[in-house]
Amino acid sequence: METNQERPKNYLVESILVTIFCCLPLGIVGIINASKVNSEFEQGNFEEANKASASAKKWAKYGLIAGIIGIVGYLIFMFAIGGMAMLSGSSGY
Amino acid sequence: MKIKHIGIGIVFIIILCLYYFYNPTIEGIFPKCPFYSVTGLYCPGCGSQRALHQLLHFNLLETINYNALYVIGLFSILYNLIIKGVNTYFNKGYYNYLNHPKTPIVIGVIIIVFWILRNISSQPFCHLAP
Repeated sequence: METNQERPKNYLVESILVTIFCCLPLGIVGIINASKVNSEFEQGNFEEANKASASAKKWAKYGLIAGIIGIVGYLIFMFAIGGMAMLSGSSGY
Repeated sequence: MKIKHIGIGIVFIIILCLYYFYNPTIEGIFPKCPFYSVTGLYCPGCGSQRALHQLLHFNLLETINYNALYVIGLFSILYNLIIKGVNTYFNKGYYNYLNHPKTPIVIGVIIIVFWILRNISSQPFCHLAP
């Protein structure tokens, strides 16, 4: 029955981590979706909750990919192209 | 699917090693925050690379000094792992407060407030800046 519906994963932890590390806007979208998952599930709209869960997962993944591409791309730029000489100083991420 | 996960794990370990061995305060090899570069304002993630370096060396006070949002991040990871572990392995049904409808809203508000406060340069708030 519906009361035994499994709670969809809300990806809140992942969204928080994406917000801090990778890509702030995508993380915020993830957090909004996480809140949607919780409130829709609480109200019994399981379909909506599942949908929000899927999009929370999507945004967390995009944020992660953006973060990894950003960091790895920058490192490649620094090492391979010798950008080290062009930019120097402390980091401010 | 399995190979993809292993690949992601390897990338993560390499990145963590980089942050362990290179201090972002000294080495300029890490990317700068694009938001900070463009606007000159701090974003909620600013300082997280320096904080990660300190965290990997277990300097918790320095970590919080660089980015206080690490408290929320670490706490939510640990809380989630502990609750899920206990519920799975000991067959308990403890309520996970991360599933509460208000929790994401509260966390979102904390992040936004933190964002605003760390850009205020007067006395009590300037400690939040990285």
